Amino acid sequence: MTRIKHYETMFILKPTLTEEETKAQIDLVKATIEKNGGEIVSCDDMGTKQLAYEIEKHKRGYYFVIYFKCQTDGIFEIERNYRINENIIRFIFIKYESKKEVVAWTKMSDEAAKKAN
Amino acid sequence: MAERRKYGKKFCKYTEMKVDFIDYKNVDLLKISMSERGKIMPRRLTGNSKNSQEMVEKAIKRARHMALVPYIVNTQNVTDAAYVK
Repeated sequence: MTRIKHYETMFILKPTLTEEETKAQIDLVKATIEKNGGEIVSCDDMGTKQLAYEIEKHKRGYYFVIYFKCQTDGIFEIERNYRINENIIRFIFIKYESKKEVVAWTKMSDEAAKKAN
Repeated sequence: MAERRKYGKKFCKYTEMKVDFIDYKNVDLLKISMSERGKIMPRRLTGNSKNSQEMVEKAIKRARHMALVPYIVNTQNVTDAAYVK
């Protein structure tokens, strides 16, 4: 039996994309998460930032964070989609499991939601 | 004590600030436990508590992967720039 767990994902998009393309990419990722049984709680748009080191000869990147709840199986499918996508240069999934971590997760997602409004 | 203490009494900065979870996106918090070269400082130098040291290690490694903090700070570029001047 798979349980619903708290996750956070962050990805870096190529800085060469136009504004519309960036938006389209973000929507695509959100759609993928929702298609695989994920429930998006809040998003944090960090915007274009300087990278600490060059990745694929890019010096800047567009950061985006999504807080979501998902079943454990869904993550593999989302990750596969991330790897196929050429516009994503780096990504990370973080699982928040213990009680303390879930509290931190709720706090961070609330802050992100507040920032978005 | 025969030898005087060279530095001030060490204490855990995270406990002082009452941080109960160190997030990898919060770069300012991570910078406390990092050297100028971007290395993770040992506990015996920073005085971090065991609990927060373990949390900060994990957070720094995640932040490095996401290019929020550097793996190494290369002095090559710094010296080159000085040379040009």
